[in-house]
Amino acid sequence: MEWLFRSEFDALTTAALWSIAAVLVTTLILFVYTMGLRLATIAANRKRARFIRTWRDVFAEAMLSETAARNFKLPKVRRSDRTDLLEEWNRARSIVDGSAADNLVTLGRRAGVPELALRLLHKRRVQPRILAAQTFGHLRDRERRDEIRQLLNHDNTALSITAAVALVEIDPDFAVPIVVPMIETRRDWPKNRVANMLREAGSGRVSEPMYRAIRSATNESKTYLLQFARLVEPEVLDALIDDLIRSSNDPGVLNAALKLVSGVRGVPRIAALTQHEAWFVRMQSAKVLGRVGQQEHLSLLESLLDDKEWWVRYRAAQAISSLPFLGPNQLRQIRERQDDRFACDILQQSFAEVGIA
Amino acid sequence: MTLQDVVISGQWVFLAYFVGINAGYLMQNVIAAFGIRRYLQTAEQYEAESVFSSLDIPISLVVPAFNESASIITSVKAMLQLEYPQYELIVVNDGSTDDTLEKLVDEFGMREFPEAYRARVPCEPVRGIYKSTRQGNLRVVDKENGGSKADASNAGINVARYPLVCVVDADSILQPDALRRVVRPFLEDPTTVAVGGTVRISNGCTVRQGFLEKVGLPTNFLALVQVVEYLRAFLFGRMGWSPINGLLIISGAFGLFHKETLVEAGGYNPKAVGEDMELVLRLHRLMKSKGKPYRITFVPDPVCWTDAPESIKDLKSQRVRWQNGLGQALMLNKSLITNSRGGAVSWVAIPFYIIFELFGPIVEVAGYLFIITCAIMGWIAWPQALVFLGLAIGLGVLLSTSAIMLEELSFHMYPRFKQLAVLYLIAIVENFGFRQLTAIWRFQGLMRWFGGREHKWETLTRSSNLADEA
Repeated sequence: MEWLFRSEFDALTTAALWSIAAVLVTTLILFVYTMGLRLATIAANRKRARFIRTWRDVFAEAMLSETAARNFKLPKVRRSDRTDLLEEWNRARSIVDGSAADNLVTLGRRAGVPELALRLLHKRRVQPRILAAQTFGHLRDRERRDEIRQLLNHDNTALSITAAVALVEIDPDFAVPIVVPMIETRRDWPKNRVANMLREAGSGRVSEPMYRAIRSATNESKTYLLQFARLVEPEVLDALIDDLIRSSNDPGVLNAALKLVSGVRGVPRIAALTQHEAWFVRMQSAKVLGRVGQQEHLSLLESLLDDKEWWVRYRAAQAISSLPFLGPNQLRQIRERQDDRFACDILQQSFAEVGIA
Repeated sequence: MTLQDVVISGQWVFLAYFVGINAGYLMQNVIAAFGIRRYLQTAEQYEAESVFSSLDIPISLVVPAFNESASIITSVKAMLQLEYPQYELIVVNDGSTDDTLEKLVDEFGMREFPEAYRARVPCEPVRGIYKSTRQGNLRVVDKENGGSKADASNAGINVARYPLVCVVDADSILQPDALRRVVRPFLEDPTTVAVGGTVRISNGCTVRQGFLEKVGLPTNFLALVQVVEYLRAFLFGRMGWSPINGLLIISGAFGLFHKETLVEAGGYNPKAVGEDMELVLRLHRLMKSKGKPYRITFVPDPVCWTDAPESIKDLKSQRVRWQNGLGQALMLNKSLITNSRGGAVSWVAIPFYIIFELFGPIVEVAGYLFIITCAIMGWIAWPQALVFLGLAIGLGVLLSTSAIMLEELSFHMYPRFKQLAVLYLIAIVENFGFRQLTAIWRFQGLMRWFGGREHKWETLTRSSNLADEA
């Protein structure tokens, strides 16, 4: 068995042994790290819970009374509690409005929230800068407006959208004309946050820049921006939608615009769109006619009942069932006069949905 | 070539294999650690802003059920209480031979409904569609038994009305905010076509009215080992592939899909043993053939809890099936391997799966046999054999330890020190017998794939987590 101890075999065994040693050391390091992490988490959670308990009481008092906000004796904030204070203050501030929000701003200024946020605003890491931008937004701190504006074009989505929201909070008249045109290019901004931001700014401010942004956008961008068009003033929306439906033949734009139709403007054009080559445009047209259609549109809707797309048939049948001038007997007559199996099936389904046998 | 050369070459081959597979796993660990960190950094921000709005995407929740009479009512009641603004629940009764359908009809006031059904993806004939008179968003599809979950899921996809379809096992326990979490990639990136979420083991947990009340560890050894296995599989097995768009599996227990893409791909393959993996591979293939950007991604949040088999028989059956399914899924989508535009899927993920996951059991079983035979025959000394076995075991412990660390860094679902200690103990103990046993089962699964046997619905013995409450 001497060959076992030849150099190449020894090398193999030695390599394996060293690997075991490395694996054992790494495993041990990971184990100690994980246990340490657990201990640190427990300690931090306890400390944080105590801190939050104390400050929530303070915030609650301040929200209810301006006097309390101005005169309440504030608990001491240790260096290690600063981020917790900012997070908690922001949490409290984000759920209130009106005088309660003003009181919290007063209290925040007394507690040194702006100074703490300023330190974070110039950090290298993104997370503290997000917290800082959010804080200045909630403080409505106009002194920081330009610094926050610089963050709008940051590559990091969370930082960029937080800066946009903060800027709108600080100075909506200044921010909205800047932020709205950016929505088209910053597709990475979460739509919910964009919608909430525009809602907060108010339809009066949003209407004009949004109208201009949509009018000047490419068809693809129009489709995207129209998702937020509900947040403009109703009369501006009606005019915009009417204009788009009359002037555009792009299926995406028509689809997005038809979803927003609320009144009877442009009905003749909508009726014509029931014959559009894109099935989703036909489907949306049928839906709209179900809401605003008249007697003369019934035959158009009936013609869609044997469309080759199931959704078009379904929406047409639903539209017929919802026409206000048709009673159950007239609906049954419509069903009886269909000689296409698809049309009969889909009418039967949609009638059953509204309880007509 | 002398015996000595064979022995030495063999050792080098097995050592290289073990180093290769573990280097791959460790690389996934590193990617996963960064991915989870990045995800958690943005999660809080997302939470704060996740006010429901008209911009949320409606979801059709499809629940295939075959002989689920014991738990279906509790499951459906829980699924009807999920925190999501607009979703519908479609239970597909796949020709159950028990009273699954009758229970649903009685409990939710289901009435047969003349729905204009259209079969967009293939499945066995539908006998009837029922609509609840009490829950506007609940429908039940009663169909002929198709012999597989895939067939039943397809029927659900056919009646789904919303743009996203979430397929969930009837015995899955969902987190109340599961849909809100898993929909996030669709909101952030419109090219997303499928999203998976972390599935955890529910054995040992306290479940009340279909919802998880308290996280615990099982007392059954096999279930306990699977807790650690699932941590490895999801926290770095999935999370490691997701950032490079190389995810090949979305668990059948919980997956969210863009419906039109799912339909375009042809839905689930009823003939596939591992229908969940086969579908994801087919989605990759479809999207590559279209040449459009797409994402198949993963959220590390624990969104779904599932019952793990507690008996050797059930566990063996599951592992044999998984390995069989892996082979079949890769074979059915073999054109991905040679796709010049395949990216990370074709160049990294699939080769890794073929070498280390599919044929891994052969090398693993052969490796153990080789070392032990050499030692018994006196071709190598016992201490040297133990060094090699020790290395294999050490690497196994290291991987489990790193998975536990990722769990602690991210979600720390097991809050008690005792639980952490038990997980570490299992990370060591599982390497003495259990891993070798699963390698043998996987080897059997591979042989079954070579044999080309078909698969039917399997009824596993379940713990009583979801049994309908009186």
